[in-house]
Amino acid sequence: MLEVARNVLRVVEWDLMKLRRQKAFIAMRTAWFVIQSLVFGYAISRLARPDIGVDYYNFYLLGLYSALLYSASIARAYVIADEFDDGIIDYHLSLPVKRSILAIGRVLGGSISTLAFTIPMMMFILLLIGRIDLPSLLISVASAFAFSTGVVSFVVLVVMKLKSTDTTDIFFGTIDAILVRLSSIFYPLPIIKAIGIEAYYYSALMNPLTHFADFLRALLIPGYTLTQFSPVESLFYVLGLSLGLLVVAIELFEKKLEAGGVK
Amino acid sequence: MRAEVLNILLIARRDLARFWRYKYWLAGQVAMNLADILIFGLIFNGVVNRQLIPDYVRFVTPGILCLSLFISSFSIGREVGVELRREVTHYLLTLPVRRESLIIGRLLGGALRGLMYQAGFLLFATIILTVPTPRGWAYILPTSFLVALTMSSISISLSTVTRDFNLQATIRSLTYYMLFFVSNIFYPQAVIALRLGPLAPIVNYSPLTMATNIYRWAFQYDVSIDPLYNFIGLTLWSAIIAILAYRLYIRNLLRD
Repeated sequence: MLEVARNVLRVVEWDLMKLRRQKAFIAMRTAWFVIQSLVFGYAISRLARPDIGVDYYNFYLLGLYSALLYSASIARAYVIADEFDDGIIDYHLSLPVKRSILAIGRVLGGSISTLAFTIPMMMFILLLIGRIDLPSLLISVASAFAFSTGVVSFVVLVVMKLKSTDTTDIFFGTIDAILVRLSSIFYPLPIIKAIGIEAYYYSALMNPLTHFADFLRALLIPGYTLTQFSPVESLFYVLGLSLGLLVVAIELFEKKLEAGGVK
Repeated sequence: MRAEVLNILLIARRDLARFWRYKYWLAGQVAMNLADILIFGLIFNGVVNRQLIPDYVRFVTPGILCLSLFISSFSIGREVGVELRREVTHYLLTLPVRRESLIIGRLLGGALRGLMYQAGFLLFATIILTVPTPRGWAYILPTSFLVALTMSSISISLSTVTRDFNLQATIRSLTYYMLFFVSNIFYPQAVIALRLGPLAPIVNYSPLTMATNIYRWAFQYDVSIDPLYNFIGLTLWSAIIAILAYRLYIRNLLRD
């Protein structure tokens, strides 16, 4: 058991080490996030009607963090796709480590490094909305970790199937944009419902981004009611999806992945 | 001279032909742009204070024309990035084509992609807004070409800055945010003034603000706009960006 944990940690370290090397990426993304929250988020929120049932600036900020966490988790795809191109995945497969451990390590490594990268921005958002207390912070971090684990599992699953930087870029670029649009990241669910496009509303309702963003809002915005599910239901939805995707990712790694391709 | 023009057209045609290879990507992009106009617009009609913007769909449609050019013209930047990582650039440099022709051809190819992709959205804009007058079209078409050229220039030059895939994707996203959020595409200048105060007029000097202003004037959303002033500004921007992109691309092409 101790050996297993040690091996998982070693694989996790790989991703953390890669994050440490991405100084330019971190600096650019952080600087932009701060500008987006303080300037453009504020500008957009001034456009909002005063009677939509929530302070739109707070609503937007938590949506912005959810979108950032999601995009940063999706960005793991580029890292792994690059490893495929460079033959590093073949090297990983030759290590004296069980494939299931490798899969768990890569997923956890990806989600931990994503979380490490986004926690300062989460603190910044909590500061802006005035909810910087320890319980809120801990619950937010735990839910963000669960959500990120699900997204990274999905990323691992897809990249292992595609095995191409080009296709990965196109696929995730499209998925990234579509899922953000089909969610309550930037507009409340009742307003999506009010436009009367059933398919759009139900897509948003099933979208894990909606559940994660609305969970954070229910947790951090006092009296937030613009949601269709209770915070507990949303949290279980995110957890269930993450665990399910993690299991499928491990399965793919263990049984179907070979250096030459997925058989 | 004629041979060089033919070479430029050949390079541009190659990039144009490759554009249609990504059918699923194109379909996804078209769907997203339409979603931006319809869903985003419809939803924001429910969110936006109507005293500021009476009809958000009509307000945002000219900006979406710029967005469609950004997405399609930027696709060439992604390909240039892949070429750089896979060292296809070495092959390109061995072609019996002058380097200047190669680069101009690529910039032109990217711009033509943008124009072809945008055509459907122009038609869509005539339905949502109004059919422009001949004078309006005389501004719309060169504006679209200039924006497409600007976007393909920026995307190609930025893609050659780094070989890191993740960093390339990040630069692409940041460029999108910088271009689109520092403009009047999503919100009027009055709203930006609430936050930026005396710095708000900076938005007026953005190339995308100028292009959006021309579209808003041509599709008669706001006839008080001066199209000539905006067109001159956009032309200057495009010339500067295209020259800088050309120099950056040629420098990075020859770099080990």
